Amino acid sequence: MENTNTNYVIQMKGITKVYPNGIAANQNVDFAVKEGEIHALMGENGAGKSTLMKMLFGLEQPTEGEILVRGEKVHLSSPTVAIAHGIGMVHQHFMLVPSLTVAENIVLGMAPTKGIFVDYKKAVEITETYAQKYNLHVDANAKVMDIPVGMKQKVEILKALVRGAKILILDEPTAVLTTQETTELFRELVHLKEQGYTIIFISHKLKEIKEITDRMTILRGGRSMGVYNTADTSEQDISRLMVGRDVILNVQKDQAQPTDIVLKVKDLEYTNEWNRKMLDKVSFAVRKGEILGIAGVEGNGQSELVQMLFNLNQPEGGTAEVNGKNILGVDQNKIRAMGVSLIPEDRMTYGIAATGTIEENVISDRSEKKQFNNGPLFNMKALHAESDRLVKEYQVLCKSAQQQVGMLSGGNIQKVVVAREFSSDPVLIIADQPTRGIDVGATEFIRKKLVELSRAGAAVLLVSADLNEVIELSDSLVVFYGGKISAYFEDTSAINDEIMGEYMLGLKHQSEEEIRRVCHEG
Amino acid sequence: MKDKRMTMFNFVRGAAAILISLAVGTVFIFLTFALVGGKSFGDCFKSTGEALRYMLVGPLVKKSGSFNSMGMLQVLAAMIPITFTGLATCVMFSANQFNLAGEGSVMAGGFVAALVAIYLPMASGLHAVVCVLIAAIVCGLIMYIPAILKVKLGASEMVTSLMMNYVIMYVVLHFLNSAFADRSKGSTQTFPFLETAKIAEIIPNGSKLSWGFVVAMVFVVLTGLFMYRTRWGYSIRMIGINQSFAKYSGMKVGGTIILSQVLGGALSGMGGAIEMLGRFNTFLWKELPGYGWTGVTIAILAKNNPLMVPLAAFFLAYLNKGCSLMSTYCDVPSEMIDIIQAAIFLFFAAEQFLSGYRQKLVVKNTRADLLKTAEGRKA
Repeated sequence: MENTNTNYVIQMKGITKVYPNGIAANQNVDFAVKEGEIHALMGENGAGKSTLMKMLFGLEQPTEGEILVRGEKVHLSSPTVAIAHGIGMVHQHFMLVPSLTVAENIVLGMAPTKGIFVDYKKAVEITETYAQKYNLHVDANAKVMDIPVGMKQKVEILKALVRGAKILILDEPTAVLTTQETTELFRELVHLKEQGYTIIFISHKLKEIKEITDRMTILRGGRSMGVYNTADTSEQDISRLMVGRDVILNVQKDQAQPTDIVLKVKDLEYTNEWNRKMLDKVSFAVRKGEILGIAGVEGNGQSELVQMLFNLNQPEGGTAEVNGKNILGVDQNKIRAMGVSLIPEDRMTYGIAATGTIEENVISDRSEKKQFNNGPLFNMKALHAESDRLVKEYQVLCKSAQQQVGMLSGGNIQKVVVAREFSSDPVLIIADQPTRGIDVGATEFIRKKLVELSRAGAAVLLVSADLNEVIELSDSLVVFYGGKISAYFEDTSAINDEIMGEYMLGLKHQSEEEIRRVCHEG
Repeated sequence: MKDKRMTMFNFVRGAAAILISLAVGTVFIFLTFALVGGKSFGDCFKSTGEALRYMLVGPLVKKSGSFNSMGMLQVLAAMIPITFTGLATCVMFSANQFNLAGEGSVMAGGFVAALVAIYLPMASGLHAVVCVLIAAIVCGLIMYIPAILKVKLGASEMVTSLMMNYVIMYVVLHFLNSAFADRSKGSTQTFPFLETAKIAEIIPNGSKLSWGFVVAMVFVVLTGLFMYRTRWGYSIRMIGINQSFAKYSGMKVGGTIILSQVLGGALSGMGGAIEMLGRFNTFLWKELPGYGWTGVTIAILAKNNPLMVPLAAFFLAYLNKGCSLMSTYCDVPSEMIDIIQAAIFLFFAAEQFLSGYRQKLVVKNTRADLLKTAEGRKA
């Protein structure tokens, strides 16, 4: 049926991909996109969306199957070949050079020259022409490190357009954007569509898909669950197709009963290596039994704050105390001994040792404990018992605790991290983007655990770029903007995306007095 | 089943690497005959065959066809120092510390042991133990230098340790020349060791296979236990995999990095000391003995697993012996072993070697796994 329809610009037939580590990311997947449509590629993390798109962009080669562009069989051996066929990709993590200007980034690798020099004027001209034409407004002369995330994304899209892309693949483009920026992006995408461009939109956010796409392909566990017209499919249907069951994403939680202050941060300051003030006299407190959320667009000081609190970086000034004891500049084993746990933002760098086993990863904070050692030797029995218990309790999907962590899916890797961090009887849990990029099932599990632990008496500091997550999980929350706290909401049940967006983008700012209430002094 | 296939693959890959390397060696051997001249083509083939026989089975079988027991004992004896340096390298490389001063440590260990063996009279039995222990301690302290420079100043341990080999060598030679040389001898060497300090042969037949071999095997087991069954070995391995993770987990990263290198130094020093007291009567090394470099090769062949070190050490010692027989009885330079070793190294280290075949295996395994889970679901 599909073969006879010449309307398809892209056809991927019977695609199977097996990675060298034995993971079958795609199994016999069919994927077809019509000219001039916005087509969603949906699925949980680990469903094989990115893999399928990497093959379409020439970054990976299919183990089996064929790819047709405009009905013609092609061999996409590299991104260069893909671009030559008019396929461009905007990655989830931007591939830009921070120290170069927007114009320089856009013409990188194909720069107009004047003699042996780059014709910078021409580069700016190109940038501005394209920006005008596609209604993607960027500041051509600004350095990429100085521009907001939303603009970086536009730069990425322009980069692909300048290179002649007619088919754009956007990999979770809204993951790092605020509500307002998302709205703007959608307007731009519709504009592109009107000009005849084809857009493949990867996401696992149901609402966005409903809003902007024409058709969708749903993947689950590396297989295609079918192609649907967006207008005819309800959010519940999509959710069921993605995870195979109805997911309740509303976490039930009782009213918080906060008591004593556990974490007290005062006047924390930090300037980064490019001389940007990332933390500007930040003060707040987290109490026993409550979840304090930190919302904000990424890059407004949240990551830096977490790094300071776990001694992964040194602040210039200020104090931070857990139960009255200083934690700044203190060794991690001592911080952990005080009962502080951290789910790190970057789990592959800090959270796990990828080639180690699950067991080696869940015991990393407790290998010195008496119960796991017999004199100089490990008590292997106790270690196995501990790791088996955690694998079971935290529902890590694996053959055994002796399996390599790096072979697991993103959600299961995060469960390993969470199993370790939640099982050490923490008094303070710092959860930095705890569910970023993981599947709905694991997300739900981790959120429930987080609420459970806080109601059992732990203080939780939740940092998340996912607005729904912070609003839903937190008892009260602060908004970070430009290294400062721009707002404090004592009760999260009254706020909505719109208000939050204004504070996150710095359009509004609460008064000092209002913000100071988060220190719970007096 | 999956793991079995992968083990099989690794075995096949290793064997293929070795075979190709030997083939490369064969070509070079043939060339040495062919280029010398005066020989017909047929003669060259014949000589090559003869040379290969010496290299491959010479250590095992005498020309007469009987078992070469002396050859085998000598191969085992040659394993002693390189087993120690191999273990040392395993420990250091596991922590991602590319410390190459094992070479200098062997020389320093040999020298220190020699001095104790000459100037500190003690009871028989105890004396050798004390010599080896002091050598181990001194070499551990020496390795503290590149380790602390790495931890405190961020100086690359690879550079500092590499340079240190020469510092150690010249310091040893200086003291040998200026203070400890036996002037009555024609060459620069120390006075003879006291009899009490020598490490005896297991079978006194001149093969130089001393009790040091037993000690080496004991240390293989001890190092294996240390790396896989203690919290310190665990920390070393985790730091090697991901240092940020280790730091975040609360491990003492700096201390463990130092520990791994100090242990590496101690093991290398022990190797040097045992080799010195088991093989020689007097200290006469005038250049770096080369065991440290071989240790690096061994650690790579053994993939940093201490328990695999004896196999790798045996393989290299055997090849070495074969090559020296070949160069003695045929007109082939003994440097041939370096060529073959380099070729093996290349294929072992080359990640992509036979990766296409590996990928096919992986696809097959995954298919089988998927089928099994599908069947399980049905049932």
